[in-house]
Amino acid sequence: MTLFGTKKYTGFVITAFLTLILFSASAFAAEKSIDDRVNEIAYHLMCPVCQGQSVAESNSNLANDMRMIIRKQLEEGKTNQEVLDYFVKRYGDSILSSPPTKGINWLLWIMPGVAVALGAVGIALFLHKSKRPEDEVEFIAAAPEKESEDEYLKKVDEELKKYE
Amino acid sequence: MNIVNSIIKFGVLAVIILILAVLGYALFGDRDLTKTSPLIGKEAPGFTIKLYDGKRITSEELKGKTVLLNFWASWCTPCRQEAPALEEAWQKYKDMDVVFLGVNVWDDNENAMAYMKKFGGEYPHGIDPEEEIQVNFGIGGVPETYFIDETGKIRDKYNGPLTREIIDYYLERAMKPEEQTS
Repeated sequence: MTLFGTKKYTGFVITAFLTLILFSASAFAAEKSIDDRVNEIAYHLMCPVCQGQSVAESNSNLANDMRMIIRKQLEEGKTNQEVLDYFVKRYGDSILSSPPTKGINWLLWIMPGVAVALGAVGIALFLHKSKRPEDEVEFIAAAPEKESEDEYLKKVDEELKKYE
Repeated sequence: MNIVNSIIKFGVLAVIILILAVLGYALFGDRDLTKTSPLIGKEAPGFTIKLYDGKRITSEELKGKTVLLNFWASWCTPCRQEAPALEEAWQKYKDMDVVFLGVNVWDDNENAMAYMKKFGGEYPHGIDPEEEIQVNFGIGGVPETYFIDETGKIRDKYNGPLTREIIDYYLERAMKPEEQTS
């Protein structure tokens, strides 16, 4: 396909058009509404009086107050992190739905990966140990048959001797 | 080789136990977010309370006095349980540069007024018109009580219904300089 008679010009136009679309998409993505940001922050906070619910999910009075304060602070121009820090200052790190990566909390982040890796190593070792070479299997399979056949013949000989 | 195998087995067992311990703490550990407060030892958040007698009182005005800040609601049964102890303590401390301040939260005016007539005692009560004080202080429910010294620093926090002994203990601590109580 060509535009204005040249492939080079066509390529340039297509590239420029795609670049324009990409920049527009990222511009739209950057423009989150206050509602979206409130929800985003609220999902990162655990409701202090609820069992396992985030502030976004809870209908408790306290969760409602917290959402109201989140909205107010965002409207004042605070960043998401500043809002989260506000709640951490009052409730401690455990208000966050994801533990911060500091101190002993590093363990909570790396342990699942370590557990999976150890499990994979364990399974690999198990499979390796349980796998045997084919001739060894045949030899093991063959040996009992030969032994039982010899024993059988021996028993036959012994029985026959009784009748001699 | 046997020693190496034993070490490997022991190492794997130790790691499994460590993982289970960490997971156990994450799942079942004490996650009460309001038992202790990260604000203890720090300056109390500023506030303005609109009292039920129409006046306003700010945290700045209370500097120089020891403050017992008690959060309550009319529907809160433990709040009713602690009300007599609070009033009795107020009668003892009111002439000692101590202020008792009740803050009503998550309530409606009619019920709050009815509660105060029966349980409010003689010390002042009010609300935060901005409805932010409860989160500013990091409360998780009612009743919760903060003990603030004369410099405006939070010295202690108590969750649940107060008794006369508990009030005396924490108030005496807040009335002393910090060095004497650490």
